[in-house]
Amino acid sequence: MIDQIVFYSLSALVLASALAVVLHRNTVHSSLFLGLSLAGVAGLYASLGADFLFGAQIMVYVSGIAVLVMFVVMLLGRASDLHLRQVNERWMAALLVCGVAAVGLFKIARLYSANVATVAAKPGTHDIGRLFMGEWILPFELISLVLLAALLGAVFFTRTENAR
Amino acid sequence: MNAPLTLTHYMVVAGLLFLIGIFGALTRRNIIGILMSIELMFNAANINLAAFDRFLHPEGVTGQTLALFVMTVAAAEIVVGLALLLAIYRGTDTVYAEDFNLLKG
Repeated sequence: MIDQIVFYSLSALVLASALAVVLHRNTVHSSLFLGLSLAGVAGLYASLGADFLFGAQIMVYVSGIAVLVMFVVMLLGRASDLHLRQVNERWMAALLVCGVAAVGLFKIARLYSANVATVAAKPGTHDIGRLFMGEWILPFELISLVLLAALLGAVFFTRTENAR
Repeated sequence: MNAPLTLTHYMVVAGLLFLIGIFGALTRRNIIGILMSIELMFNAANINLAAFDRFLHPEGVTGQTLALFVMTVAAAEIVVGLALLLAIYRGTDTVYAEDFNLLKG
């Protein structure tokens, strides 16, 4: 019973704040709701028994990406943005695309309605570490190269003319 | 409400989150809004990966590891995206996607 209460309340939090991200007129509020939605997703990971993923989600998304987005919103925001339309005029077509995608997604989701969790969730951090340092060592090293490239790219793109 | 949670429950939540993300990415005028919607879509995929790991292969952690990779790529993507946005903003003084016509001769 407690599982269901946790799942439904977290899902409601995630989806409601995601809708607020997409529909809110004020981008600063949007970015705050983004942080709330990502924290709700972290809760869903915890309910799935993915302990390391829960921690990584809090550290990377809620305290990294959401804060970064908030900084950029405040750097680039103007008071006049609040009076402008934040949604373009083709939202009907976007709704149609979502409808078509929804039909396909829910048709697939229905196939798994008999799958219940059979064994209790156990901590996975140790196994993830073994996997990273053993079988998946090459992707692990490649992803660190991707991060280095992103770091250098960010520095390269944001430096000003008189600094170079 | 008392029915046991199945994989379908998690897939429906992830699907709805993904659809909200698609809608935002297609309709927001503000580039930062589009980037935030893309983050929502990444998260929907990650929920699915973690749920598949829990329900279909509970003996391993491959799904969670894959979700960690997705998370890293998403972080790199948003950092480069925001840096590019800052660079473009310096030249065009706007954050609205339809005003970005630098390549139009």
